[in-house]
Amino acid sequence: MSMKALNQLVARSIVDPSIVNAFSHGDIGMVMTEMDFSADVRSSLEQLKANSWAEFATLAYRIVKAKEESVRHVHLPSPLEGLLPGDARADEQVA
Amino acid sequence: MIPVTKEERQWFLRQLALGLVEYLGVAEPPVPVEELLRNPPALYDEDFGVVDMFSNLWDATFARPPTQRGSIFVRMDLDPEQRRFALARELLSALITSKHGRRMGLSDLLLPNLRESAEYFASQFLAPEPLLQAYRARGGDRETFPHTFKIPMQVADHRWIEAA
Repeated sequence: MSMKALNQLVARSIVDPSIVNAFSHGDIGMVMTEMDFSADVRSSLEQLKANSWAEFATLAYRIVKAKEESVRHVHLPSPLEGLLPGDARADEQVA
Repeated sequence: MIPVTKEERQWFLRQLALGLVEYLGVAEPPVPVEELLRNPPALYDEDFGVVDMFSNLWDATFARPPTQRGSIFVRMDLDPEQRRFALARELLSALITSKHGRRMGLSDLLLPNLRESAEYFASQFLAPEPLLQAYRARGGDRETFPHTFKIPMQVADHRWIEAA
């Protein structure tokens, strides 16, 4: 969700000067409120310090990617699932 | 400028290419690169907008005299696919040197790897992911891909594998 919003934000910035203007004036948070960023990602991005829009975009990409990878990691089943003693699937197979 | 990985640079270039494709409202390939250069978004009006022909040396190059609009000089005997790729590649230089591009900080991010960045940008601009996915969903194959998108065979091969 946030990566899609970031992609749209960066894509728009090449043809829409209002985005770079907002960044230059410290108002990029206002632009992000109109987009589909999660609240915690938006909060992290609003606190970013960068010397240029391109640098901001790169740092934002790192943050959003790391957040999305951590969420994906949490939802992934453990490779040990089904092998541990007492595990339901393991029990079923034995039965 | 902070150190940037190739993957981060390519992500950034993909978004720039998509932003321009969306601006053009392209629903079907080929992406009209020459039209964009001749009629760029209003914020680039003072920066570029001319395609000139010449007959020797390099396939294409972007040149911008101080305080003047930039021009892409492209060799007249290129085949249409090579010409489009050369124009798309030089489009990145035009963007980098534009007033808006300088405000974005494009030069710090992209100049250290300009040739590689420009070629990657061109392949993404001429064969953007949404159009490529739609082409595949309609049953488009690798053989007709270069012709449909009007890109050089070598670029098409690389792009096809990359997007698989």
